[in-house]
Amino acid sequence: MNLFSRITTWWRAVAKPDELDRQVREELEFHLESHAEDLMRSGVSREEAWRKARAQLGSVAAGQENCRAAWGSQFVDELWTDLRYSLRMMARSPGFAAIAVGSLALGIGVNTVLFTAAQHTLLDRLAVPHPQQLRLLAWTEPKGGAVESLWGWFDDLPGGGETSTSFSYPVYQQLRKQNSAMESLFAFKTLDRQTVTLNGRAEAVTAEMVSGNYYSSLEVWPQLGRGIQESDDGPPGSGPVVVISDRFWTREFARSPHVIGKIILFNLTPMTIIGVNPRGFTGAFSAQETPDVFFPFSMQPIAAPLKIGESTSSSLLTNTNLWWVLVMGRIKPGVPDRTAAASFNVLLDAAVRATMVVKNHRPTPRMLTMDGSRGQNPAAEGLAKPISVLLGLGGLVLLLACANLANLLLARASARQREMSVRLALGAGRWRILRQMMTESLLLSLLGGASGLGLAYGVRNAIPRIMSNAWGPPAFSARFDWRIFGFAAVISIVTGLIFGLAPAWQATRVQVSSSLKEAEQTASRRQRGLAGKTIVIVELALSMLLVVGAGLFVQTLLQLGHSRLGFHPDHLLLFELQPPQTHYPGPANIPLYRQLDQRLAAVPGIRSVALTSVPLVSGNAMGHTFIPEGQQRKPEGNPSVLFNDVGERFFSTYGIPMVAGRGFNAADTETSRKVAVVNESLARKYFPGLNPIGRTFEAGWNHPIRIEIVGVCGDAKYDHLRKDPEPTYYAPYWQNSNGIEQATFALATSLDAKTLAPTLRQVVQSVDRNLPLLDMRTQDEQIAASMQPERIFAGLTAAFGVLALILACIGIYSIMAWMVSRRTNEIGIRMALGARSQQVQGMVLREAAWMTLSGVAVGVAGALALGRVVASLLYGLKSWDPMTFAASALLLILVALGASWIPARRAAGVDPIRALRHE
Amino acid sequence: MAKDTGVDLLQGTLDMLVLKAVSLGPLHGYGVLLRIQQISQNRLEIQQGSLYPALYRLEHEGWIAGEWGQSENNRRARYYRLTAAGRRRLEVETKKWNQFADVIGAILNTVPEQL
Repeated sequence: MNLFSRITTWWRAVAKPDELDRQVREELEFHLESHAEDLMRSGVSREEAWRKARAQLGSVAAGQENCRAAWGSQFVDELWTDLRYSLRMMARSPGFAAIAVGSLALGIGVNTVLFTAAQHTLLDRLAVPHPQQLRLLAWTEPKGGAVESLWGWFDDLPGGGETSTSFSYPVYQQLRKQNSAMESLFAFKTLDRQTVTLNGRAEAVTAEMVSGNYYSSLEVWPQLGRGIQESDDGPPGSGPVVVISDRFWTREFARSPHVIGKIILFNLTPMTIIGVNPRGFTGAFSAQETPDVFFPFSMQPIAAPLKIGESTSSSLLTNTNLWWVLVMGRIKPGVPDRTAAASFNVLLDAAVRATMVVKNHRPTPRMLTMDGSRGQNPAAEGLAKPISVLLGLGGLVLLLACANLANLLLARASARQREMSVRLALGAGRWRILRQMMTESLLLSLLGGASGLGLAYGVRNAIPRIMSNAWGPPAFSARFDWRIFGFAAVISIVTGLIFGLAPAWQATRVQVSSSLKEAEQTASRRQRGLAGKTIVIVELALSMLLVVGAGLFVQTLLQLGHSRLGFHPDHLLLFELQPPQTHYPGPANIPLYRQLDQRLAAVPGIRSVALTSVPLVSGNAMGHTFIPEGQQRKPEGNPSVLFNDVGERFFSTYGIPMVAGRGFNAADTETSRKVAVVNESLARKYFPGLNPIGRTFEAGWNHPIRIEIVGVCGDAKYDHLRKDPEPTYYAPYWQNSNGIEQATFALATSLDAKTLAPTLRQVVQSVDRNLPLLDMRTQDEQIAASMQPERIFAGLTAAFGVLALILACIGIYSIMAWMVSRRTNEIGIRMALGARSQQVQGMVLREAAWMTLSGVAVGVAGALALGRVVASLLYGLKSWDPMTFAASALLLILVALGASWIPARRAAGVDPIRALRHE
Repeated sequence: MAKDTGVDLLQGTLDMLVLKAVSLGPLHGYGVLLRIQQISQNRLEIQQGSLYPALYRLEHEGWIAGEWGQSENNRRARYYRLTAAGRRRLEVETKKWNQFADVIGAILNTVPEQL
């Protein structure tokens, strides 16, 4: 009716109860006095008048309460009472409260953190308007297709052939000119490790080359200055400009607005800063990390020159063979993807035929369109599988936490059955009791939710941190996702409410008299027993899954850690150099490396120096077509082997044994006959039963070189720990006529990185002041970093496994304890009739064993079924590894029986007389 | 909250009587009691204990407003007056009560000849 007066009076009643009480008291006292005076006036004695007045008005306290209630304070008052009661209950059984809140917090916290990471790596979209309109052009071709030379992401198709998102620049230009299916096509390419010189200090940056319509098509406007325009992307050299990222602006220029117009040296080419990207914009390639600088394609031949293979020019813009540019566009509204792809397919075929010579009627690539809203999404590729497995495990933990909570609440409800009956008998309404229980459950759930939030917030960056390597920045910074927290919180709270309320509902339906007498309530007892047992079996099965998972992943880590490397990683310090191509085109970097090689070897404390073009166990490897002497080139292509350009002392520095022949020496020069050392696998595969030394092979496809084998070395792992050594040859780097674009120096030394770093920097700068020293780390750290996913898995699953064991322990203990206490009478009778305590103990343990075995059996079945999912993440053992399964089952059975031991002992210690009197 | 259905007759009636008493001029709680007794010529027995909760209930609904004032014997007392909403309420209640009383009266006064 009158909302305002209702609210104001309600508020006064709730917020200022004392003031209201005083007011009522004063009113009532005035009433009493007036009444008494009137009575006295009519001749009643003073004493009698007051007595009468008081009797008629009733007690002041009751009046106060009723008046307050009239102002609507009852609900709040009762809530307050309930809350106080709930807190008292929690304080009375702090163990229960801690476990319930703790398991909720873990379930919520773990899942929030995992989902946040997953969301970020797998689902984040580019920070541009309408990302859902973006399409990334891609193509697929069968084996032996027209595209031979590729720089960028590709995926091997199962039947041979490949899919890729890279195009040659001339093909892109033609596509863009003739495009009608999309708004406009723009191109980009990310470059790792470019050199920027700022204030005389060189440092490595990441860059994105973009087309002139990139900013306008993405609809991104720099927060400062302007974006790259068509006029910047004209003929080669026409746009010496860069747009920098918000991060780079903050890091290098402290967000100074005067940065616009400043000239920086990008790969020693002067370029003008014309804009700063908006915060959050990460370019078109990835939604996780932004390149530091963006510059137009027109600058590629000058600022980022690259000579590929036989090409005489260092411009990629005219190279018709190399496919390297990513092409994206916004699809026109109403145009289906298939129509767009079909129209591009025609264009692509024409463009390929127009720009390159298609040999031997090789099939030309067929166009596809891919969702471009997440860019190329490089993070998703490698992480999708491990993250989904982690999410699955997180889900199991949440389930386990909920089951545990349910179990605890059920146990407690049955323990409080008598209390319910007393309250009902004393006249409490059923709704009132339910409200009380609901308050308790909600209080627990909210505490759990709040702790979960704290936990999730506290460790929200844990996943990105453990996902990045020791020497680099975090893989990404996770944003806290409230929706996910809400999801996990709602699930746990609903669990708490259901399992908190269902027993209360049950309890209030019970006949007061019968439950007060504690006559065996067979019906509710069986239900509790059944529900409780089911939950415990589910808990044990979930625990079994998690323990098996922990076993599998921990063993994978151990196996990897102890796998035979084939080289000695100890006391090796690595750093990298990437001399800019502008200054060291092609083989011009070889003299630089040779000079550094010598100077580093002279540094005191460094025992030997070995250069490699690809660091070992870095996930990267180089491959070449390999044709041993006596074999012919085949039109469909020959097999390829791995290779690495290495320094003279590579084998001794890395401790790779020479099995036959010799290593490299001063006699092998840039101009002498090209030589190589092959590993045993290669010798075995390509020269079975022969002595490979002195034989030659042809390497490379377009411009093959003939190389003589001078030695055979032991097998050593190359790109991945998980891969057994493959056929590999090692060639002296100074014989590589294309030069080495990026080199890793391995230093054998007992000094640590910190001590040596200044000296190393000095040495490098004494050769070239503008050369940054990159990624200093030890070979052991490099290997550890490559085991990062395995370590994450082992760590998380081990934690989950321990948690699962604890929860299973609590679960089975609580149900066994409950059963023993319910059966005290029965046990007493049995013992009175002559059962020995061992028999009673056996009886209890048998029951526990039965539940444990059921749970373990269900868990084993589940683990076998789910094993296939994780098989590809394992190393050195099968997903059904019998030892792991047996050990996990044994562990779980021991823990469960151990937990049941205490209730079993208690049962065995029952005194028949007291048990019977207990009735 | 007065019940329109009239199931809880006494409570509904007390609220109505209080509204009526206050409509004749601002009164303190004791005054309300006296006035009802006076108008009813002491034929109605009012439970004094339920008078004040009724007053607070009516104030909660916004039908009467209470404020402190000076009593006839120079004492501080809380005076209640009818609000605009209260006046409308009283009219509605009065009309309803009259209809109710008519119907019940007609039924109870029925004699066999009328059927």
